[in-house]
Amino acid sequence: MLLDPNSRLAQRLNPILFLLPALSIYVVFAIYPTVSVIEYSFTDWDGISPERSYIGLENYRKMFSDRVFWEAFRNTFVWSGVILVINVGLGLVIAAMLARVWKARLLIQTCIVLPVVISPMAVATIWRWMYQPNGVINQLLDGIGLGALARPWLGDPSVVLYALAFAHSWSTIGLSVIIFLAGLQAVDEDLYEASRVDGATPLQQFRYVTMPALRPVTAVVFILTLTQSFKVFDIVWATTQGGPIRFSEILSTYMYKRGALENDYGYGSAIGVALLVIVSIATIIYLRLQNRKDQ
Amino acid sequence: MRNFFGTATAVGLLWCMPAIAQAQSEVIVWVAGEPGQTTIYDELAEAFNASQSDATITVVKNSSDLFNPALIPALSAGEGPDLFTFGTGPGQPAALIAGGLVADLTDAYREHGWADTIPEGIIVQTSSDGKLWAFGNEVETTGMFYNQAIFDEAGVSVPTTWAEMEAVVSALQAAGYDTPIGLAAADKWPVSHWQSMMFGRYAGPEGIENVLFGDGEWTDAPFVAASAKLQQMGQAGWFGPTPVAIGYGELMDSFWAGDVPMTFTGPWVIGGGIQATGDRISDYSVFAVPPFEEGQAIHPTNSIGSGWYVREGSEVKEHAIAFLNSMFLETEGRVALLNAGTIPVGPLEDALAQADLSPLAQDIWKTSDDHAGNGTVPAFLDTITPGGLTTVSYDGLQGLLLNVMTPEEFTAEMQSAWAEAKEAGEIMLPGGIADE
Repeated sequence: MLLDPNSRLAQRLNPILFLLPALSIYVVFAIYPTVSVIEYSFTDWDGISPERSYIGLENYRKMFSDRVFWEAFRNTFVWSGVILVINVGLGLVIAAMLARVWKARLLIQTCIVLPVVISPMAVATIWRWMYQPNGVINQLLDGIGLGALARPWLGDPSVVLYALAFAHSWSTIGLSVIIFLAGLQAVDEDLYEASRVDGATPLQQFRYVTMPALRPVTAVVFILTLTQSFKVFDIVWATTQGGPIRFSEILSTYMYKRGALENDYGYGSAIGVALLVIVSIATIIYLRLQNRKDQ
Repeated sequence: MRNFFGTATAVGLLWCMPAIAQAQSEVIVWVAGEPGQTTIYDELAEAFNASQSDATITVVKNSSDLFNPALIPALSAGEGPDLFTFGTGPGQPAALIAGGLVADLTDAYREHGWADTIPEGIIVQTSSDGKLWAFGNEVETTGMFYNQAIFDEAGVSVPTTWAEMEAVVSALQAAGYDTPIGLAAADKWPVSHWQSMMFGRYAGPEGIENVLFGDGEWTDAPFVAASAKLQQMGQAGWFGPTPVAIGYGELMDSFWAGDVPMTFTGPWVIGGGIQATGDRISDYSVFAVPPFEEGQAIHPTNSIGSGWYVREGSEVKEHAIAFLNSMFLETEGRVALLNAGTIPVGPLEDALAQADLSPLAQDIWKTSDDHAGNGTVPAFLDTITPGGLTTVSYDGLQGLLLNVMTPEEFTAEMQSAWAEAKEAGEIMLPGGIADE
């Protein structure tokens, strides 16, 4: 006998039924792998053998005394710091400037946002060529009389991490700009009008009107950029594989090396869990900021 | 009308029945390689398929970087290819064998007389516990490729001593070539070719085997000396100002364009070189790097880059083995491989007589043969050592070139990774097939 669609039970079941397909996909492709990785992190699984032994916290103990893990950890924070400065700081400035530009605004906006839709592997290939010792960056520097700054960008330990972070920002800053632009459209034009009457310069308007008005949006961009930057793998792997030596090794590339290339899935999983914890902390901060904004 | 369609459907089904009953077994073959670079296996599969009625070979290619990360989860899940290439030697396949993921090929070895084709030295690298696990299929070597036109322009000839080698490099630098010997250290693995050759030169075949299968250590004096020499060459600018910023693709483009006079690599580049240079390919030849030190012998590098494994759970093992036989035992297959620049293991006389080898390919093999009497050493240590050691070696070789690591530190890190792998049981015991 079919359930009466107007019954209380049917009305309770309806939303669950509608959610079920998406929820199933989420459980299979997100929750289950995450739980599996956490489980593997307590094993010595090599990724090949059908058997694995539980070794408790051994992988985590090894991780805390692993010099390379800490190098990758430090690099990941430097990497994220650079990307935050560019995507949040520069993204805000670009958005504020774009908001005041009317002619060719769409064209400029498109140019900035276009790299967002390019696949990370293509971005890596483009920048790998541009950063070549005889690539376009060095040629450009030579051309404008700054040849002394030319260097092997991806082969110089002192700049490789920054060079890659810049390339990553190039491909992602468009998203920050779009979010900032959306936020700017919600800023009351009267505030600018009032500040103009008070004699504020454009810089003062930016400092005392735009920035405070965009604080909640800035928090969103900040957390989004932070979480995304921690998860980056493609661009580093496709350009330097963490090199030269380990100067551009970040947690995601180190996790891949240990897990997939060295067949130490247990340890690789422990690194993955560490990454998960870091990203989770950032997400919790994001959600709290969101809640505060909502209140 | 309805009757017509009903009858036609029935006839169609009856027509299909024999075909369904005689469905061919599909053998999935995974080959590591970049698209367009391993077309020989497509050709061999096509020839095999044309000659067979009960099996079809399907070749799947995967880029080298992604091959193992895709293969291992597939095998672990009980899926994956029926036949595939994978590293050999004491380091890499140990986990596959221990995990029961690859088939024991000892019976096929005896049944099909593989002993007549596969040399004992290769059996050692592909067997353990008295069983054969892989068909070590092809021989690889490395040599110094050079541009004769540039040599002529700079007024230098092929060096036979280290002093002459130094003179050649100096002359090329003076002629404006800031990278006399191209080295794609950004990709890490090309430096390992130098490492393998130099470790072999300084330690000799016995020294290498003593580490791989005995109680020797990577911190032994010959390996430290070889690392120091490589670092000195880097410091002297032999590899150009920025080898760690140069990728293999970019380097080979520069080499074939005539911007780099020399590079140390293997015969797999010849096909691309012929395409890139056309008639100018005759400008290129190969020589053996002269002895680095007084009294040192030239040991040609000689490796099986990888071996062919059959998946333990495969239901088409006999067809997979038949395909191996057709590629590496039958003359047609061996000729096709030779023409594609791949040297199959075993006696080559018959195949060579029918093959159409490029002069450059003949050069590199002649260079290798000229010194084979001194004993050969592995061309690719990175493919026969465990993954952990490979990572440490790759990073350390860049460290040597960037001068941020001493030879002692480099070899100590290698030894540490080797000892760790040994302790974890990731090293196979010396091979050899047990008597029946």
